[in-house]
Amino acid sequence: MADPVMRFEGVSKRFGGIQALSRLSFDILPGEILGIIGPNGAGKSVMINVASGLYEADEGRVIQHRRDITKLGTHQRGRAGIARTFQNIRLFRRMTVLENVLVADKRHICHPFGSLLSFGRRGAEVAAALAELDHMRLADKADQLAGTLPYGDARRLEIARALAGNPSVLFLDEPAAGMNERETEDLLADIRACRGRVEAIVVVEHDMALLRVLSDRLVAMNYGQLIAEGAPAAVLANPEVVRAYLGTPDA
Amino acid sequence: MIQDHIMFTGINILLAWSVYVILLSGSVSFANGAFMAIGGYASGVVTTKFGLPLFVGIPIAALGTAAFGMIIGLPALRTRGIYLILVTTGIAFCVKNAIESIPYVGGVRGMRGLVGAEPWHVWVLVAIVGLLLWLLSRTPLQRILDATREDELVARAMGINTVYVKVIAFGSGAALAAIAGGLYAHYMYVINPEHFGILVSVFVVLYVILGGTNNMWGAPLGATVMTLVPESIRGLHEWRPIVFGVVIIVLLLVRPEGLLPFRAPSARVRDARDG
Repeated sequence: MADPVMRFEGVSKRFGGIQALSRLSFDILPGEILGIIGPNGAGKSVMINVASGLYEADEGRVIQHRRDITKLGTHQRGRAGIARTFQNIRLFRRMTVLENVLVADKRHICHPFGSLLSFGRRGAEVAAALAELDHMRLADKADQLAGTLPYGDARRLEIARALAGNPSVLFLDEPAAGMNERETEDLLADIRACRGRVEAIVVVEHDMALLRVLSDRLVAMNYGQLIAEGAPAAVLANPEVVRAYLGTPDA
Repeated sequence: MIQDHIMFTGINILLAWSVYVILLSGSVSFANGAFMAIGGYASGVVTTKFGLPLFVGIPIAALGTAAFGMIIGLPALRTRGIYLILVTTGIAFCVKNAIESIPYVGGVRGMRGLVGAEPWHVWVLVAIVGLLLWLLSRTPLQRILDATREDELVARAMGINTVYVKVIAFGSGAALAAIAGGLYAHYMYVINPEHFGILVSVFVVLYVILGGTNNMWGAPLGATVMTLVPESIRGLHEWRPIVFGVVIIVLLLVRPEGLLPFRAPSARVRDARDG
């Protein structure tokens, strides 16, 4: 089997009396779209926050391509190619759609004061950002303020911004939340189109229909623990997963 | 008299930009009066105690104040909002008290014999700083600052070292305030710690809020209005502070985002065509 792009090795995270992640272990494999499911409070978003460095794991290791990144800070994880979106869309609302994508350029992020001398490249950079927006059907809104975008467009802009940094792994935190059926179908196509751009995509989602058709593999979590892992149909039929979502008959 | 107005308007514009530069990264500083004081006293020491010319004294003061700003900025900028206001206000008080207790620079009586600054010096610097800020507004660094200011957590997750960006911005603002302080000191002939009290810091922040925090032109407009309005209503005698206060309140009620609320994008679609 190929080396995983990322690996969670016995990762735990506790907030006061709440064990948000409990010895969580799983691999993210090259080329795959990995779906993460679990009821509310299962620890899915905490897992993304630990992966992207917003939270530090209390124990365990986070590995990226055999490199232990557990102790790396948030910005170092971003530079290492871990990109993410947020459950509650977090755009730079007072910046334009184009600027939201331009700001993700890693050359400038890694050398912010060197970017003072980048006048000559401006046209090429804007053209590349427009191409990125075009993939997400947002090019015609490039000069609009991000805060004025409708919900579906805002979701797609967040993905475009994440992709603009040429990440290795893309974590999408409930990308279909609040979307109607038509928007979800479009999103499905958009995420599939991203597949060739990154080494792996991890999608945390409650929309089982979406994950069933989108994911190559599913990981199911409950109470911060992994309860099932494998092909989508098998995981969704797993009795423990069903129990986690629907409860026991006598509950 | 007119020369004073020209001089102080220019100095206040530099001070307003010194706050604006810090605000670009999302931090607010009520310590710029203190940075101004350090710049004034440091350049004064260089010119009066060591006999070096002003054009040497001011860069030394700016570099020293920038270093001081970055050293105290490193822990201070871990705080945000009201806490950062309290920390920077504390810095302003500490610096003033420290200067008062240093006999070498005259203590509470102040420092004398500071000469050499002319209004045209200030306005050449206003033009240079304005040009630099305008160029900055067209570079990727402006976007990195904007992102840090808008949502620091997201900026970090994207790979931006927000601590580094904020500390450099803080140091740059401190340096700019020090330059303004050096010019002020060498125009006034005599300075004492009372010239750099907390009210100076408060007023400088007010310049930027009144002018508008979203673009580089708000700060100089606010500074100009707030420097010249009190002079233009001098005939009101004892009513002058009250009328001035009412004018500020009315302006902020009518234009809560400042006199110039717009934000100029750092890039537009037409840039792709222009190359």
